[in-house]
Amino acid sequence: MRRAFITGITGQDGSYLTELLLDKGYEVHGIVRRTSALARSRLDHLYHDAAIYGHRLFLHYADLDDPTTLRRALLKAAPAEVYHLAGQSHVGLSFDIPESTCELTAMGTLRLLEMMRDLPQPARLFHPASSEVFGRPAAAPQAEATPFAPVNPYGCAKAFAAHMVRVYRATFGLFACNGIMYNHESPRRGENFVTRKICRGAAAIKLGLETGLALGDLEAQRDWGHARDYVRAMWLMLQGERPDDYVIATGQLHAVQDVVQVAFGAVQLDWRPYVRRDERFLRPAEPHNLVGNPVKARRQLGWEPTVSFEQMIQEMTGAELAGLSSLAGLPR
Amino acid sequence: MAKRALLTGITGQDGSYLAELLLGKGYEVHGIIRRASTFNTGRLDSIYADPHTEKARLHLHYGDLSDASALARLIGKIQPDEVYNLAAQSHVRVSFDSPEYTTDITATGAVRLLEAIRETGIRPRFYQASSSEMFGKVREIPQRETTPFYPRSPYACAKVYAYWVTVNYRESYGLHASNGILFNHESPRRGETFVTRKITRAVAHIQAGLQEKLYLGNLDAKRDWGYAKEYVQAMWLMLQQPEPDDYVIATGETRSVREFLAAAFGHVGLDWEQHVAVDERYYRPAEVDLLVGDASKAKQKLGWEARTRFQDLVGLMVDADVQLLKAHREGKIRVTC
Repeated sequence: MRRAFITGITGQDGSYLTELLLDKGYEVHGIVRRTSALARSRLDHLYHDAAIYGHRLFLHYADLDDPTTLRRALLKAAPAEVYHLAGQSHVGLSFDIPESTCELTAMGTLRLLEMMRDLPQPARLFHPASSEVFGRPAAAPQAEATPFAPVNPYGCAKAFAAHMVRVYRATFGLFACNGIMYNHESPRRGENFVTRKICRGAAAIKLGLETGLALGDLEAQRDWGHARDYVRAMWLMLQGERPDDYVIATGQLHAVQDVVQVAFGAVQLDWRPYVRRDERFLRPAEPHNLVGNPVKARRQLGWEPTVSFEQMIQEMTGAELAGLSSLAGLPR
Repeated sequence: MAKRALLTGITGQDGSYLAELLLGKGYEVHGIIRRASTFNTGRLDSIYADPHTEKARLHLHYGDLSDASALARLIGKIQPDEVYNLAAQSHVRVSFDSPEYTTDITATGAVRLLEAIRETGIRPRFYQASSSEMFGKVREIPQRETTPFYPRSPYACAKVYAYWVTVNYRESYGLHASNGILFNHESPRRGETFVTRKITRAVAHIQAGLQEKLYLGNLDAKRDWGYAKEYVQAMWLMLQQPEPDDYVIATGETRSVREFLAAAFGHVGLDWEQHVAVDERYYRPAEVDLLVGDASKAKQKLGWEARTRFQDLVGLMVDADVQLLKAHREGKIRVTC
């Protein structure tokens, strides 16, 4: 049975990737941090499945800033593929905690590369670089050869990690791929990310639980895809003959306001009376023009997104409506 | 009141030259040094005065780029007008052996220092020592401020991070923060494990009959080598500009290690080919083949230009190592080890 090792398994991408790999017959090992509240809601359905947990899915306590434990977990799992999804992944927050963002996202990746350099049986590595590495690109869309020019501490750390992946590939012959991932969303997106926040807001307003929604820049534009599509690209990269870097994107830009329109539309509301602008949510430096060209991934990996922007926001809003209804004891 | 400057890496080649320059301009100079069981302030001996004298304008403080609290405390106490971040694990080959340490000091250390500045609310002007190694597998020749980076070593990756985080603090918080993208700069104070100094020291020893052979790595690597003493002037000039910016500092001339050998051995009438052998252990896992900088922006905006050219630089380094060896053998200088 092929074994995979996932950091960040409790996150949005980690949970979808786990489902994908289990479905493909893998044995999946993930590392989790110890917290006083169990933060594994995205894995609950697998964790509580007696046929899966302890048989084909294993969770180990470890942390990116605890090299000895991480190395031990890696040696024990002896994986063929490593998916390094862990990181302090919130851009806005990276302005508040830049040093630990660097520690986890930049240094954490380097530590893992160092361990993989020393592994007795070589494993393949997937690293998700982020479109944030491009910062404020002069040209759109961006491709694999577009120079990095990050504009926030998160982007700086991701650019570092992506550069380091290339160095280890070139220097030590490691089979390591960077997926330059554009924004990808789902009902499992972290609650403080803007898409999830909007979908949840629209659902809460519909149910009468909230009266309004405060947002930052409504004109900010992003290339948003569905996380389930994006984890498939991760897996495809590690099945290739040679390691390489790939842009994973839809190639289409939508504004925050488009998310608002689709989400409120999904609950049959007019968004205008409810949404207000709040300066506190503006970033000190906003990236712009971030739209990816996924043609290389399509040609070499046969990858293409299958979920449209509208379908995705509708799915997310529907999930929020269902979740909030059951929480509030309301009939759906 | 005298301007105050804070230097990290003050005990290094550039730190010592910069400290001299700033003292000469009337600054009060504060430097951060690491605690070590051996003396590590050799390059500062000539300017270090007894701190008990009233006039002492050079002050050394214990600290480390890995110690965030110490950095914040020092910045709060010193209240510097200018901060020069020169500290790093600066050896490219070593960065392949010790990448995590290199990253902790060179990359995370820079953001720790910037955070310490942000936290204290003091708004000094900030200089970040960026490096031509960031260009790595070069995307154009010569390299200028707009050339994309392609780092090829853990050291270079860490320097690219520090570069961007400096730009980011400038754009996000309006900090007067500038990057000097310095191409190789050498001097008699260059660390003994860097190829230029390794060569000039060997020339002195071979000439004196104390050494037979010199073992080196890749002789075909080409670098743009300038004189460190001039390069620190560029650092200071950047912080005197009304607006912060990033500048390439270079001579514009590229020479191979082979040419350096010919010039250094030739300076004392020796034939390098009789004395030099290649040892592949000194090869970098991934080499940076050719670096040459275009410093026209620095010339235009800062009025800075490299004056000491290749032959003169090699000559002054060889002369200094010959003198140093002579002084050692005559027992004229105290050897600390």
